[in-house]
Amino acid sequence: MGHPHPKLQARTLTRSFGRGHRTVAALGPLDLTVAPGEFTCVVGPSGCGKSTLLRIAAGLLRPTSGELAIRTDSDRPAAMIFQDYGIYDWKTVQANVRFGLDIQKVPRREADARATDWLSRMGLADFADAYPSALSGGMRQRVAIARALAVEPEILLMDEPFAALDAQLRTILQDELLDLTQTTRTTTLFITHSLEEAIVLGDRVLVMSARPGRIIAERRPPFARPRTGDIRATPEFTALKGELWDLLRGEVRRDEVVPA
Amino acid sequence: MTTTTPKEDTRLLVRRPGPQELHPARTHRRRRTLELSLAVAVPLALILLWQLAATQSWIDDRVYPAPSTILADGWHRAADGELWPDVWATLKRVLAGYAIGTVTGYALGLLMGSLSVVRAALEPMLDALYVVPKLALLPVFLNMFGLGEGPQIALVAATVFFFVWISTMAAVLAVPAGHRDAGQVFGASPWQMFRHVLLPASLPAVLVGARIAAGVAVLVIVASEQIAATNGLGHLIFDARALFQNDVMFVGIVCVAVLGVVFSELVRIAGRLLTPWAPRDRGRGQS
Repeated sequence: MGHPHPKLQARTLTRSFGRGHRTVAALGPLDLTVAPGEFTCVVGPSGCGKSTLLRIAAGLLRPTSGELAIRTDSDRPAAMIFQDYGIYDWKTVQANVRFGLDIQKVPRREADARATDWLSRMGLADFADAYPSALSGGMRQRVAIARALAVEPEILLMDEPFAALDAQLRTILQDELLDLTQTTRTTTLFITHSLEEAIVLGDRVLVMSARPGRIIAERRPPFARPRTGDIRATPEFTALKGELWDLLRGEVRRDEVVPA
Repeated sequence: MTTTTPKEDTRLLVRRPGPQELHPARTHRRRRTLELSLAVAVPLALILLWQLAATQSWIDDRVYPAPSTILADGWHRAADGELWPDVWATLKRVLAGYAIGTVTGYALGLLMGSLSVVRAALEPMLDALYVVPKLALLPVFLNMFGLGEGPQIALVAATVFFFVWISTMAAVLAVPAGHRDAGQVFGASPWQMFRHVLLPASLPAVLVGARIAAGVAVLVIVASEQIAATNGLGHLIFDARALFQNDVMFVGIVCVAVLGVVFSELVRIAGRLLTPWAPRDRGRGQS
């Protein structure tokens, strides 16, 4: 995009797994530019390398070729939210939210204050001393979101964060996240299977091809910010969802017919 | 693909390919070579150190004979056929005891894992017996079976039994309810449930127990042969010490080590063939 100082930029990024004749190309070549404060959603068929892209951005995985640059002064600018929550059963809710701050050696008093603040913003204040096993799936994912946002990351990476939730809860958490991110304006890369989720949350929706994943289309949902979940009922929403599905359907099929 | 200098005063954090990505084959080869050479070099270095210490008389080589002496002595005994009766005696006891212990432990573990009534009836008692050192039962077995092979085999069987029993029961209890439910809805009989669900579901964990038991079986037989046997490797080790033939004693110890490793490796390989779906055993170099 035209932004002169993109927050995140990938150039001819590829990643493959395995060695020799068993090498599988998982991703790319892929070019991507994300502007500061932009909420970018990536949708694509299963196994198309969406998560691989996110893991490269997070520094969990190196690319096979190409590079991904993040404009930042920090060595650890990103926070990540995982599909299976990634929160620790052996820490209380409060301690879980404080985890990132503890790792960054934020003084205990300040860390506790920030954790408490985020817990009340997520409606979890009453559960601060509970263990995650006592919480429902939705609440556990709220803890994961609070933990990621508590460190005030420059980049938020979300890997299908709501995939394990039921449909109603998904909608509620989408709306909550929409509300949150429109206040914080954190640069976000959001991976999802759900077209609806991508359209509601994203400034931009990128569609990826079947493996090896490349970006085959880009759409900007025509809804001004701040928006609310009510846009789901508009004809523009339905039209965009249909259009994206037409693009995606072929890729999902292709992936099924030619299993690697 | 050069890193551009930033136009602002902020830095760029670049994720780029590392050595592993740029030269995958070479990195992999180097890693394998390093791991293999370490696996060989560390024991070899220790043996060389021992050899050096013995030849330089840093240690008393009558008490700790040099590895070369042990090797030469072992070779002679093997060639003369003096060694094999003891190896064979130990092997027979281990295999017989292991077979009995595994079969009974598996059967009881399965029964107790599936039926809570049986579990309630037997678990407290078996738990109490489990903590009794099995070697302490040797006098009991001697009284029961008299001298000869009986007590030795019984001791190995009792030891193996507890390992297999505990791991089987835990594995059966850990079979997810969804697996059982699916079989039950189709109307599976107890036998079908065992054959199609419980057996395969519990097998990986049972095999881990069986492999640990294989090592412990060797351990316990050597101890009991030292106390009450007229042949076998345990007897050889103690007898040689009494006669101050320390090189023979070490030959016995090396034989026991080899026997234990081979036995538990065989159980591991058998397990891998029996459970092709299970993830590979960790803690050992893969592939």
